[in-house]
Amino acid sequence: MNAPITLPMLPTRGKPGVVLTFRLALRELRGGLRGFYVFIACIALGVAAIAAVGSFASGLAEGLAREGGVVLGGDVAFVLIQREASTAERAFLASRGALSTVATMRAMVRTADGRTALVEVKAIDRAYPLYGTVVTEPAADLAELLALRDGAFGVAADPALLTRLDLRPGARLTIGSAAIELRAALVGEPDKLAGGIGFGPRLLMSEDALRATGLLQPGSLVRWLYRLRLPTSSTAVQTIDAAKVQFPDAGWEIRSRNNAAPQLERNVERFSQYLTLVGLAALLVGGIGVANSAKHFLDRKRDVIATMKSIGATGSRVVAVYFVEVLMLASLGIIVGLAAGAALPFCVAAFFGTIIPLPFAPALYPGQLALALTYGALTAATFTLWPLGRAHDVPVSALFRDEVAPQRRLPPPRYIAAVAIIATAFAVTAVAAAVDRKIAIIFIVAAVMVFGILRGIASLVMVAASRVPRPRTTILRLAISNIFRPGALTPTVMMSLGLGLALLVTVLEIDTNLSRQFTAALPERAPSFYFVDIPSNAVDQFDAFVRQEAPRAKLERVPMLRGRIIGARGVPAEELKPKPEAAWVLQSDRGITYTSEIPAGSRLVVGNWWAPDYSGPPLVSFEKHIADGLGLTIGDEITVNVLGRNFSARIANLRTVDWNSLGINFVLVFSPAAFNGAPHTEIATVTYPGGGTTSEETALLKAVTDVFPGVTAVRVKDALDTVAGIVMNLVLAVRAASSITLVAAVMVLGGALAAGHQHRVYDAVILKTLGATRLQLMAAYALEYLLLGLVTIVFGVAAGSIAGWRIVVDLMTLPFRWQGGPAIVAAVIAVVITMIFGLMGTWPVLGRKPAAVLRNL
Amino acid sequence: MDDTSVAMGPYMPAVLLAGVNLSLGEGAARVHILKNVSLNIGRGEAVGLVGPSGSGKSTLLMVMAGLERPDKGQVMVAGQDIGTLDEDALARFRGRQIGIVFQSFHLIPTMTALENVAVPLELAGAPDAFVRARIELEAVGLAERIAHYPAQLSGGEQQRVALARALAPGPAILVADEPTGNLDETTGGEIIDLMFTRFAAQDMTLVLVTHDAPLARRCDRVIRLRSGHIEEEITTA
Repeated sequence: MNAPITLPMLPTRGKPGVVLTFRLALRELRGGLRGFYVFIACIALGVAAIAAVGSFASGLAEGLAREGGVVLGGDVAFVLIQREASTAERAFLASRGALSTVATMRAMVRTADGRTALVEVKAIDRAYPLYGTVVTEPAADLAELLALRDGAFGVAADPALLTRLDLRPGARLTIGSAAIELRAALVGEPDKLAGGIGFGPRLLMSEDALRATGLLQPGSLVRWLYRLRLPTSSTAVQTIDAAKVQFPDAGWEIRSRNNAAPQLERNVERFSQYLTLVGLAALLVGGIGVANSAKHFLDRKRDVIATMKSIGATGSRVVAVYFVEVLMLASLGIIVGLAAGAALPFCVAAFFGTIIPLPFAPALYPGQLALALTYGALTAATFTLWPLGRAHDVPVSALFRDEVAPQRRLPPPRYIAAVAIIATAFAVTAVAAAVDRKIAIIFIVAAVMVFGILRGIASLVMVAASRVPRPRTTILRLAISNIFRPGALTPTVMMSLGLGLALLVTVLEIDTNLSRQFTAALPERAPSFYFVDIPSNAVDQFDAFVRQEAPRAKLERVPMLRGRIIGARGVPAEELKPKPEAAWVLQSDRGITYTSEIPAGSRLVVGNWWAPDYSGPPLVSFEKHIADGLGLTIGDEITVNVLGRNFSARIANLRTVDWNSLGINFVLVFSPAAFNGAPHTEIATVTYPGGGTTSEETALLKAVTDVFPGVTAVRVKDALDTVAGIVMNLVLAVRAASSITLVAAVMVLGGALAAGHQHRVYDAVILKTLGATRLQLMAAYALEYLLLGLVTIVFGVAAGSIAGWRIVVDLMTLPFRWQGGPAIVAAVIAVVITMIFGLMGTWPVLGRKPAAVLRNL
Repeated sequence: MDDTSVAMGPYMPAVLLAGVNLSLGEGAARVHILKNVSLNIGRGEAVGLVGPSGSGKSTLLMVMAGLERPDKGQVMVAGQDIGTLDEDALARFRGRQIGIVFQSFHLIPTMTALENVAVPLELAGAPDAFVRARIELEAVGLAERIAHYPAQLSGGEQQRVALARALAPGPAILVADEPTGNLDETTGGEIIDLMFTRFAAQDMTLVLVTHDAPLARRCDRVIRLRSGHIEEEITTA
């Protein structure tokens, strides 16, 4: 044996700092990733979802910004509704740079054999396009393609129109009173995005051709776009300012290339926010897995913790060491998540770049990645600090006594406070990063409530199970005692399965309600057609004709103008601070009407309606929710610009509107004499009692377009199909995003069951030693899962239905019908699958030989 | 007084227990384990605690090591009233003044032998922790095994590492709970020899819990416990 040693005394007070904490954490990491796969996967999945959504949205925003000139069709665009620019206005625009004029409107085309289709007409001048190129099939010079030849103007049409009417280049069509010849398919249109959603395929023609159609009547719903290519883009602001000064009452909507497609940008922003919230939901669900992993990890490390404390480590040091270790492991998940999330936009661009109808600039967006990283780190910290805090008080005496089921205590107050602070930081980040903070707050509150309720239910179930009189059947007794015994799976299973089921049911309810809205039978009172651009001098003729052609249908007709709100209470519109839900009203021109009576579908809620013979100063009736959103009330004055003239009116009353009736509804309804002298057209709806048949509708469509070629017919079913197509694409995206959360829930559940199996080895071995068969034990576990599953189904269906209901009613403003059957069936299937997987994992555990385990007890 | 300082005057006992009472467990399961135990252990003394299972010897050891706080009574260790220390101060005090050897070794599986021995020194802020740890391991005959993990060591080797770890900070008191309980007789004997050699070489106090009568007799004094009382004290020297 070696000689005795003598070493100098240790310093009386050393200050081992952060470096030692990291060093010890790194040594602990040598234990490998066992028990941390679910932890890492949960963090990676959530971070990937958020990073991907953020990067994708930034890619779109960047693409839109970069391609602003192409999207807008110029450096600056001036948009006028229902009227062309005056000579002075046009001269001003032409003096600032290269000018291109484009007119868009809806119209009907007819084939020689009488078939009709609604088209979105775009009439262009020779300067078009200022940016980008038009692609046609076959390729041709644009001016030549659209020129008048053999008595017909040339047009290029969206391939959809060619398919719908079975047309080939060379086909002759009629639009309004002009003959046109289809000469090419329109494959690429650089400024397509600026146009928004079209109800019909695009028809490209020359401005001369449009003028020849006779569709340009006073008050026709035509949109004139004047685009400018400026010598230098820096002159855009000066041009806009000069336009505002020289033509203060022009009523034009002015956009610059930096603001080319604000509606689209807002939609991208909003949708990415919803998807981010789904990503956050995945992180929160994954958080349970994170907490479970940390808890089981620390349970395994109990002896090591006690040992470290026995040789001088303080409780805070131990917590710090393990906190650093789990953060290192979380970093691994975060790195994987960030890499996957950052790569996704590049993959999308590589594989689907050509079919994305948006300018898209895949790149690394550090801001978005930093946000995802923050969420990942905060999730890891929030969900691990609680179980880690418990390590602070692990007694060293545990090394002297075998404790089968260590007592669960609350962590010391400092860790509870830290959890609260970090969770608050998570919530503040989520709200601060949100476009719509209200929705983010609702999400946070809902998440906290759901967590709280689920944990509360789990506790109730455990208390209830502990108080149930002991059943005589051994299996049932075992199943029930498994529910409330120390270390029971109940809280984890209820949290992960409950959240998963709630989400599943929420998505299902939204899905089915949305699908029903757009694909199920229309409400009986829904009209079959909107007829727009009915000349005001032909309304009697139109009425008589429709009544003759569709005697059983109900015809409603009102004057229709387009106007932009340019101010309220003396404040310019751009300085008003609307609530998000009302902002859209100020963003563009709106349909407005005037009438002496309360419109059908409206209900007066505040104030009085004007007298039928009212002829005093102009009054206006405002939709109540929008007025509230704009902060307006009775007596306030608003100014709208119609056809280049400003009209002011005082708010006389507020209405609520049943938008779901699909009837003619307006936010703004004016008193009859408000627009004296303003030319306008009328809009009509035709409603068949009980809904129109296809043959009835087709016949009426043909008859009206034959006799009134300038009137545009929008078939409601076709329009709804168009909208449904877009909505269902969104639903698909929501489903895909939600599936991430479901995957997280499944992983958490799988992790919990796997961890539970380790705990169960002990029970199983003891019970087998005492004579229990594997089948008996399996039956007990199956019963336990079933009992937990049943309670979770009740919660999942209830919480999911409530969430679905509020989202459908409040966010989507659609009617809600509870789809109980599918929800319950889905929940039951999910629980049964869970049970099967749980039992499949349990079977090998039961097969362990008792001796091997008993030797280690 | 500094919470980790040593104030051992010439007549100051290394361990002083006065009227120590301790009950463990909750409600109906609560058991009164130590009943009014008073005890003096002198500096440099080796004491063996013996007694039947459940007599309270391990609990008494834990009280001396500051791992359990008595419900009543005073515990002075190395001149420090450990009842006045909070948990963190107690942990630091333990790290410097008390070395513990467990029956089940309790090495940290993710650390090598060297690191296991260095940890208490690192925690105490010793800048030369690894140099000291290496010397300690050489002293217990494991110079060739310093890079091995516990799983790569035999039971006897693990207990040597544990002993080196306990001795590395130069504690005033070494407590050992059945240090040979998990070892075969030969290996156990070697460990005990090593322990007593190191005890003799260092100016420290040894308190040993054991069922092994010959081992107990190697101590200066044997204290027999029964039902939480000191039944008898035998001076062997």
